[in-house]
Amino acid sequence: MPALQIAGVDRTFHVAGKLVPALRDISLSLRDGEFVAIVGASGCGKSTLLRLILGLDRPDKGEVRIDGQPVRGPGLDRGIVFQEHRLLPWLTAETNVAAALRRSDLPAAQRRQRVAEYLDLVGLTAFAKAWPAQLSGGMAQRVAIARALVNRPRFLLLDEPLGALDALTRLRLQAELARIVRHGGTTALLVTHDVDEAVFLADRLVVMQPHPGRISDVLTVDPAARRDRSSSAFLRVRDKVLGMLGVETEAVRVGNYETAA
Amino acid sequence: MKLHHGAVRVVAGIAVPLLLLGAWSLTAREGWLPDQILPAPGVVRATLKEFIASGELLDATLISLERVAKGFAAGAVTGLAFGAAIGLSPRLNRLFGPTFLGLAQVPLLAWMPVMILLVGIDEGLKVILIGIASFIPVVLNVAQGFRDVPPALREVGAVLLFDPWSMLTQIVLPAAVPSVFTGLREGLANAWQTVIAVELFASSEGLGYLMSWGRQLFQLDLVLAVVVVLGVIGFALNWGLARVEGRLGRWQVRPA
Repeated sequence: MPALQIAGVDRTFHVAGKLVPALRDISLSLRDGEFVAIVGASGCGKSTLLRLILGLDRPDKGEVRIDGQPVRGPGLDRGIVFQEHRLLPWLTAETNVAAALRRSDLPAAQRRQRVAEYLDLVGLTAFAKAWPAQLSGGMAQRVAIARALVNRPRFLLLDEPLGALDALTRLRLQAELARIVRHGGTTALLVTHDVDEAVFLADRLVVMQPHPGRISDVLTVDPAARRDRSSSAFLRVRDKVLGMLGVETEAVRVGNYETAA
Repeated sequence: MKLHHGAVRVVAGIAVPLLLLGAWSLTAREGWLPDQILPAPGVVRATLKEFIASGELLDATLISLERVAKGFAAGAVTGLAFGAAIGLSPRLNRLFGPTFLGLAQVPLLAWMPVMILLVGIDEGLKVILIGIASFIPVVLNVAQGFRDVPPALREVGAVLLFDPWSMLTQIVLPAAVPSVFTGLREGLANAWQTVIAVELFASSEGLGYLMSWGRQLFQLDLVLAVVVVLGVIGFALNWGLARVEGRLGRWQVRPA
């Protein structure tokens, strides 16, 4: 049985009196410990899909199931990092992470220890007492990652978590995200429009097309290809996905990766 | 650098009052306006000293402050509760919101004849009118503050399985703090203005009464002395509330 199963999901919204189909017949399964990335242009319903998995929204048709049980609402087994950090501005880095443990059964001493552990994991121990307004965008997003992970959720959902960061910070955090997710053995589902990021992080890529949001292709990434962003294997996967998304690259046209690399 | 910045602010803030004081002195010295209408600053200062020494000014101030304290406390507490209720519950807002907005449009002094018939002209009248005056801005701002909690943050609470109590204390209340304080400050300013208005009309004690008494005796120096006291106290009350708000809003880190 798959850990997470999205089975024939449709979701339609009413926008200004019109019916806009956001998701059409989405089916996707995740195994435990797998890292899956969904790539697609904006408007393909990626975020809507994550909201359905979180239980913040319900599908019109089909079901989202965890271990075969339909999802009925949010749960601590699913952590999320949004594109904006969404830290509570009136809590420090530390208390923001601790807020995620309000519903946990851990005794107080262990909670403190757990918060410290995850701040350390994202490299922000020195900034435990800082307010979000004092942190850079990249640091705030790390706190948000620590908050999403502190309950040791079975599933980590990432909604374009690095999309609002500058290019350098994004590259650095991609490497950290890879380390952090593998460290906990979490099952991760990343939504992104950055194809490089998806190829670098994921075991499996899901390509979505917009209007209505639907899955067009699923492909497996060879772990060897992932290791080096400038290897021809990496570029081949990237260009293939870009081609599926309708972006032609020079290499795709020439059809020769050895010379392009 | 910081000190320098602070000094500039103080000087800038004090410049206009000094200029007005200068214009006042000049007008009085040159006799552009009759003494009965605009007494010289020196005369007002002497009157102020005299009334402070006799204790009359202090008595009147304490009476007015006590009325403000009672009325504002009543208006703020009920305003916080009612504002929170219609801000949090769309159903309650649909039920009570329009009535409240309609009644809020009635000028405060228009309540006076009705209230005099209902409760007489004693202490109760003053406290009720001051209460209404503070209640209205508190309700308006508090309701707005509770309604405007960012949905993105509420969603965070939902994802973290916050119970209603955590949602309120961790997300809704902190987000509403700035609006709540705006309401309290407006309410307090209204209360302070209203106590004077009520005392001018219907009182035999307090700062407003002192003013109306001074006016009847054509002692404009006394009227102006009370004006000075009113300004200073109003400024101090507002400053005090701003300090409390600053403590609660430490997380709003401002650039140094």
